[in-house]
Amino acid sequence: MDVIITISLLAILVLYLGLFKAAKALLPVTLVGLLVALGLTFNHWDLANNTKSIFSGMLLFNNFSVAFSALAIISTFLILMLSKDYFERISANVAEYYTIILFALTGIIIIASYHNLSMLFIGIEIMSVSLYILTGIKKRDYASNEAALKYFLMGAFSTGFLLFGITLLYGASGSFDLTEIRNYVASSEEISPIFYAGILLSIIGLCFKAGAAPFHFWTPDVYEGAPTLITAFMSTVVKTAVFAAFLRLFYISLSSVTLQEFWVPVLVVLASLSLLIGNITAVYQQHFKRMLAYSSISHVGYLLFALIALSSASDSAVFLYAAAYTIASIIAFAALMVVQKQVGNDSFDNFNGLGRKNPLLALTLTISMLSLAGIPLTAGFIGKFMMFTGALSTYHTALTVFAVLNAIVGVFYYLRVVVAMYFKDAERNELAVPVYFKIVLVVSTLATIIIGVYPGFIADLI
Amino acid sequence: MNLFYFIAFLSIFFSLLVIFSKNPVYSVLYLIVTFFTLTIHYILLNAQFLAIVNFIVYMGAIMVLFLFVLMLLNLNEDSEPMKSNLIKVAGVVAGMCLLVTLVGSFRALGDSDPLILKNPEIGLVKNLGKVLFDEFLLPFEISSILLLSAMVGAVLLAKKDPKKI
Amino acid sequence: MESITNSIQGVPLNHYILFCAILFSIGVMGVLIRRNAIVIFMSVELMLNAVNLLLTAFSVHHGDASGQVFVFFVMALAAAEVAVGLAIIVMIYRNTSSTDINVLNRLKW
Repeated sequence: MDVIITISLLAILVLYLGLFKAAKALLPVTLVGLLVALGLTFNHWDLANNTKSIFSGMLLFNNFSVAFSALAIISTFLILMLSKDYFERISANVAEYYTIILFALTGIIIIASYHNLSMLFIGIEIMSVSLYILTGIKKRDYASNEAALKYFLMGAFSTGFLLFGITLLYGASGSFDLTEIRNYVASSEEISPIFYAGILLSIIGLCFKAGAAPFHFWTPDVYEGAPTLITAFMSTVVKTAVFAAFLRLFYISLSSVTLQEFWVPVLVVLASLSLLIGNITAVYQQHFKRMLAYSSISHVGYLLFALIALSSASDSAVFLYAAAYTIASIIAFAALMVVQKQVGNDSFDNFNGLGRKNPLLALTLTISMLSLAGIPLTAGFIGKFMMFTGALSTYHTALTVFAVLNAIVGVFYYLRVVVAMYFKDAERNELAVPVYFKIVLVVSTLATIIIGVYPGFIADLI
Repeated sequence: MNLFYFIAFLSIFFSLLVIFSKNPVYSVLYLIVTFFTLTIHYILLNAQFLAIVNFIVYMGAIMVLFLFVLMLLNLNEDSEPMKSNLIKVAGVVAGMCLLVTLVGSFRALGDSDPLILKNPEIGLVKNLGKVLFDEFLLPFEISSILLLSAMVGAVLLAKKDPKKI
Repeated sequence: MESITNSIQGVPLNHYILFCAILFSIGVMGVLIRRNAIVIFMSVELMLNAVNLLLTAFSVHHGDASGQVFVFFVMALAAAEVAVGLAIIVMIYRNTSSTDINVLNRLKW
């Protein structure tokens, strides 16, 4: 609870700093505030893991929510480090951007720790409404405008589905509380058919928000049109948060065997479609940002594996995968921002010869690509490994084979940029990499390698 | 009992007019009528407070905002082309969605009990206020963040930039 | 008041579910077949209202007030969403400086 209060007060403080023209203080204050919030998050850490829900069952801060909140705060911290001088180039209202990002983070922490469907709904909406705004902050850029409108309309549409699903769950069980819903499932002899319809509609709503196929059609355009920094935020922190919400709902309320027989096939179809569409379309992209957008769809497919093989190990699997994916994506987006700012275009040709001129940038980008592709000794490999073992332990052999084939396709398009950097020569000047970027790149790369070599210290956290 | 079916028919009729009328201004006006019929539904369910709020917030605030933007942007011409080839796909998707829910409810039809006001007091301000400020206090407070971020964002986006960048 | 509320006595809950499902599907259809952003947005409002009515019906059915409280949150969301959405539309209008609705109609998906 302290975390939510700290971050929302921090947002208002930043708003006031903007009012009093303290533009220099904005970023440091935000970063310090996030560190404080991170410290407060660990207050809820409980080794015995038997925390009680608070505020008449509205929130439940257990180790699961602490881990995901900490991941969200750390990755927001890293992304905001990249924001130095970024918003200033867009418009004069810098303080408001930080405020809205912080509000979105508040929503994310709420959906990582909800214990009542009303909190889930409000958290998701705080997050989405803030993101609609952030997508459109390049007010004079037509692509950004169109992305904002499209994201807004699709987001509102998907909210309708999520709400209808929640309503039907309520109608069948008579409560919004996750534990009450589980008790309903356990105690009733025949589960009402509208409960099944509710599960289906909630899956549709959440998949829309996470961008799983076939509800992905908004992602490429929105990710491309939004400012790169916001795309980084959307495709990492937001995706992780939606999956935390997904996992919490299914693990606490809907994990009984009869219900699993109903929704596992649905998720299997969604996961394989996401893998197929994400990977196949990513191969044909000529632009780095669009490639990342499509590949993020395939990562949603891998993340859905943890839900298909739902067990007590699922939360650490999702956490590890999400952490690996987030950190690697932040490196990729940081490199993208450097290239975009100084070259003006992000097609693969602009990465030619980067290995010679900017060895640090090229090296970190290579490691992040290897991690995203799932090469051993990087964090991404451990994440994929845990997902696949989980799926195999529940006898989804065909699905796992299919996913491994897709991972091979993934290696192909991720390594394209590496090949461009090291093996294609081009006359180019050295790109200037600001100090903040260097810190983010080095820290994230180290984290990727450390998780890849000693996965135990993060996998055993939850 | 017949009143419910009559009002339900009116709601469906006007909501169909909302999506099929060519001129957006007519759509807004039909939407207001639809919301009015829904207000009557709330009164029938004895949810008096919701009926009033629906009347004020939806029919008042939200619809005025819609009309305001339509008039401001001069979007009231009926030159919008319909998506001809996509209509079929759309119809199929919507039909599927409808079908799922219909099948779900029809399967429950066997033991469906008539709706009875178990507790007629439930939708009154006194009772709702007690629930809202006791059990649902936290969501109530948190929704202020939602409104605040929407407010900041709406001003940020709709404001005219003082200088060209 | 008694006579009005008595008139719903006897309406099966299923008919409420059916009615709200129909309204919701009409909203979905509106989103899918229209191209004008504002009409799409109005269809979304229609979907939210169908959900609100169903929540109220369930709340009455269970004799539990939390469903009606949830409707408040949906209304708060609707107000916030309308403000942001219409601001986005106004922004696009400013940017193109024209009343040409084709700008809003150029959406393709």
